Amino acid sequence: MIVPDMIGFGLSEKPTREHAHSLDGHSANLIALVRKLDLQRVTMVCHDWGGPTGLSCALSNLERMRALVVMSTWAWRTPAAEFHTRIFPWRTMHAPLIGPYLLGKHSALAGRGVYLSVVDREKFRQRAQSAYEAVLPDPASRLLTWTWPRWIPLDDAARASERFDWLESELARCTLPALIVWGREDEVFAADVFATRFKELLPHAEGPELVTGRHFLQEDSGPAIAERIVRFLAEVRRREGI
Amino acid sequence: MSVLVTVIDPPDTSGKRRTLVLAEDRVGHYPEFRAFFERTFDLARVGLSQPGYLNVSTGGTYELVFLGRSAEPFPSGIEINAIVSALEPIDEERVDHEIWAILRWVIEGVGPPWTVQDLDATGRLYRVPAAQGPI
Repeated sequence: MIVPDMIGFGLSEKPTREHAHSLDGHSANLIALVRKLDLQRVTMVCHDWGGPTGLSCALSNLERMRALVVMSTWAWRTPAAEFHTRIFPWRTMHAPLIGPYLLGKHSALAGRGVYLSVVDREKFRQRAQSAYEAVLPDPASRLLTWTWPRWIPLDDAARASERFDWLESELARCTLPALIVWGREDEVFAADVFATRFKELLPHAEGPELVTGRHFLQEDSGPAIAERIVRFLAEVRRREGI
Repeated sequence: MSVLVTVIDPPDTSGKRRTLVLAEDRVGHYPEFRAFFERTFDLARVGLSQPGYLNVSTGGTYELVFLGRSAEPFPSGIEINAIVSALEPIDEERVDHEIWAILRWVIEGVGPPWTVQDLDATGRLYRVPAAQGPI
């Protein structure tokens, strides 16, 4: 299993200029990793921005892919997440000057933001929150926490519109085995809208499988999700006759 | 008591230094924010020729440096400097509260659908000290 730290997050390097980041740039980084390691028969597990980036990688390198797992993410312009259209708190959080202040100086995402986006907050606070905070220790290192929200397409002028349109059309043609897993309590990408849309685009997919979880569902249901993916891949192997 | 933020003429900066306290690379992400700064500081006429200056009623003076970027409307970015005594460390807590006051002033000026009430609620939700009240 390979869990890449995307550039700007985790222990990877953290560019300090907003213009260093783009959706296609992050996808290309992932593609470079897949090619550098010469990975074959990849199962791409995508969560949140891992959807647009991971699916961009998968759908442009189908010959290296084996299966897709999508979790609490999206890959189109419409429907947009109602949460993303709200002034309070989402658009205010990353608005000009407010983003660098709230998310940069005061670490609103790595600190309280993820905490608010899990079901068992006390367990998260005790076991995981410090890890999220430790890898984004200062305002400059947190740049991507207000840059990524600004790449979410909410109108026709959005920078990534063309990529999201491409993702949606390519997904609709994709025949890779797929599994849809969703946080039952996800208030960002509501299951009844977003998991349903993935099922429409990938009608052969298994799921949606609902698990306990808000947007960061892996914090509440990591073992359950892993067990479900293992069963899914066993079924893929059985169908392949391996 | 609410903190007042006022646009002022260029202050005397002898014996002072500038210290960067906040930077924004993309002030036009929501175009109404760029429009607010353009009309408040007459930037279509002034351009890059001079910064803007703000006084905060709790005592701080701030300089707004407007940044240009090829192919983008001006200003594309903003740096906010605190103007402080040259050799004195800054009072981090006070500066943080004054930046919050400046952000509230920006939102007030940008206007609906952006509201100070939503900004305050967002600050409280994320437990920003300055959003809890004065020092």
